[in-house]
Amino acid sequence: MEQFLEQFPIVVQSLNIGFLQTLKLFFVTLLGAVPLGLIIAFGSMSRFRPLSYFTKIIVWIIRGTPLMIQLLIIFYFPGLVLKKQIWGGGEVARFTASAVAFIFNYACYFSEIYRGGIQSIPVGQEEAGLVLGMTKSQIFFKVTLLQMIKRIVPPMSNEVITLVKDTSLARIIALQEIIWAGQAFLKGSQGISGQIWPLFFTAVYYLIFSGVVTLLLGRLEKKLDYFR
Amino acid sequence: MAILEVEHLSKTFERTEVLKDINFSLEKGQVVSLIGSSGSGKTTCLRCLNFLERPDTGIIRVNGETLFDADDPVTTRESAIRKKRLHFGLVFQSFNLFPQYTALGNVMLASELLAKERPDYKENKKAIHEEIEQKAQVLLEQMGLEDRMNNYPHQLSGGQCQRVAIARALALKPDILCFDEPTSALDPELTGEVLKVIRELAEQRTTMIIVTHEMAFARDVSNHVIFMDDGRILEEGTPEEVFGHPRELRTQQFLGHYAQ
Amino acid sequence: MKKRVLSLLLCGCMAVSLLAGCGSKEAPAADTPAEEGTEAPAENGEDAEASEEDSADGSDMEYVKSKGTLVVGITDFEPMDYKDDSGEWIGFDADMAKAFAESLGVDVEFVEIDWDNKVLELDSKTIDCVWNGMTLTDEVKSAMECSNAYCNNAQIVIVPADKAEQYQDTDSLKDLNFAVEAGSAGEAEVTALGLSCTPVKAQSDALLEVASGTSDAAVIDSLMAAAMVGEGTGYADLTYTIQLNSEEYGVGFRKGSDLAAALNDFFLAGYTDGSIAACAETYNIQAALIDAELVEE
Repeated sequence: MEQFLEQFPIVVQSLNIGFLQTLKLFFVTLLGAVPLGLIIAFGSMSRFRPLSYFTKIIVWIIRGTPLMIQLLIIFYFPGLVLKKQIWGGGEVARFTASAVAFIFNYACYFSEIYRGGIQSIPVGQEEAGLVLGMTKSQIFFKVTLLQMIKRIVPPMSNEVITLVKDTSLARIIALQEIIWAGQAFLKGSQGISGQIWPLFFTAVYYLIFSGVVTLLLGRLEKKLDYFR
Repeated sequence: MAILEVEHLSKTFERTEVLKDINFSLEKGQVVSLIGSSGSGKTTCLRCLNFLERPDTGIIRVNGETLFDADDPVTTRESAIRKKRLHFGLVFQSFNLFPQYTALGNVMLASELLAKERPDYKENKKAIHEEIEQKAQVLLEQMGLEDRMNNYPHQLSGGQCQRVAIARALALKPDILCFDEPTSALDPELTGEVLKVIRELAEQRTTMIIVTHEMAFARDVSNHVIFMDDGRILEEGTPEEVFGHPRELRTQQFLGHYAQ
Repeated sequence: MKKRVLSLLLCGCMAVSLLAGCGSKEAPAADTPAEEGTEAPAENGEDAEASEEDSADGSDMEYVKSKGTLVVGITDFEPMDYKDDSGEWIGFDADMAKAFAESLGVDVEFVEIDWDNKVLELDSKTIDCVWNGMTLTDEVKSAMECSNAYCNNAQIVIVPADKAEQYQDTDSLKDLNFAVEAGSAGEAEVTALGLSCTPVKAQSDALLEVASGTSDAAVIDSLMAAAMVGEGTGYADLTYTIQLNSEEYGVGFRKGSDLAAALNDFFLAGYTDGSIAACAETYNIQAALIDAELVEE
């Protein structure tokens, strides 16, 4: 017990640093993937066939392969095959590569949710806008978008909570997120070794954070309850 | 001069000819009813006028100006069509109100977006907004919805929704207001309030084209009646002529169903 | 083993995309300052050999000098590489790496890597060397350009302290189920003896297996065991018994790199002036240090 009390602050400090990486990756991914997903959704719905086939193939590849493999390829491929290491050095390099992989991966998942959301809106909404002399983009931003958001909040919540936990995959390219930080005490770090509880303890962080995310998304869902 | 002239309009979906050489015209202040069985092409005709469908052949003229000529590519361009739509208003069978806006918001939205294109918008933003809001309020009052302005569509009855939709179409001051079976989606007891509003509009000499199955109403409110069958105009004339003394057998059969 | 399959798979993937994709093969290779055109870097990506050929021009040193930083791939591994209270990397290997970088006139940067990916990290130039108490196995030697050995190590058997007496010779081990780090020297030893074993992700995981009773015994590095097992450590209930082999630690560079030879020279000088011995004493590993005479041979 005494030993535990001694180790606890050291472990928590180390986990906090790791969790900061986790959070950073989480928010950067959301910030990038939410708009990119919309662009991909429009691409796959395009009436220009080559573009829609192309985006559909990309989405198929990204959704059809494990994110872990994508991380490995994105990080190691340039230096290994193109003979040009593009990610720079240090932890920043690993973070940048992780962010790129995560943004692409999640944008593809988001795009399919968006597509479902857009296509579920009755065609009458667009026609009503057209008849009132609105442009396509006015119709999208003033009429369709909010209805789409309302419809996609529940499936998006699912993805976002998955993302919270998926960030741990980035440790395959040695991004030192919270699980990495927890595992370090198993191998030995800062004079603490052979301790599994820090790794188990990371679950508390995930649990609290996904709880907060769930609450916020629930609030958004409620906020959009004013119309049907 | 006729406010609307339609010549040789035709439209084919896949391999089905939905409209076959439609010709008719409409005078300012007139009310035309389009009647006929389902699938006779009434709704498609109305959608062509609003450029929701592109006719394969034919000409659409409003106040002598050719809005659409299938043979003249200049008039069929997508970019030009948006403004041309403003000559027409359309009230849908299923209302198609925007759910995230209040009744007032639905009526104001298009006007506000159009106002942004005005050169003096930036300077007079506030005044323009107030003017639009005021007009919308007047329209909703006219529809008998003065106490419903800030309700969202899902808080309104079907009849109220349809009246909001009518106000929304009127807000842009169309030359011709089109109705696509405006009461078909309503409970029978709610049709009355919508028909009453349309009747009032007719009394104010609003130019209207009404696709309807309410034969008594059509006979009562319209100046001109067109009977469509299988994509063609089979018979037209005053309500007295078409309802009172139908010449064609098909018209008689059709009206016979309603008489029972 | 898994790692090798993965990298083969990757290489295959990349070879395909290269052939299908870029057509002009010279273009991407030209970016590396290391390539002075001694050998046309044309045959990319057939298999793992491609990377060997590319760095075989022998100007890896120039490459590192031109970017001004030696990136050292490490893991948190006391007493070789670990962080002091201020968060700076110290340890016998870390200190030597700092000194080596200084001798080259470049900065040193330590990057924690996933040990499974060490060859991948080297070949993709995300690190320049692996300097982390790495056992010089045949596999390591064939995949990397290695320095001379600088430290002795052994694979030793870890068992719960209360059962240690039963397991004092190799015959007594045959009914035990071992936990070993996948791809480690320990795994090789256990497999060679025909013992049953479970490969786990890290040596520390192997210890955890024994401590939690999911495996009967583990085989890990003696240097690590000294730091992590026994009285006053996180695994007070465990102890070590038999030494299965003896082996040596070395530093790994990209295949064909001239830095390995440079490091050998640096080590030699360090033995002569006693700086290496002094450093070893700081971290209490002088007993494991390889004799200077041995190195000079």
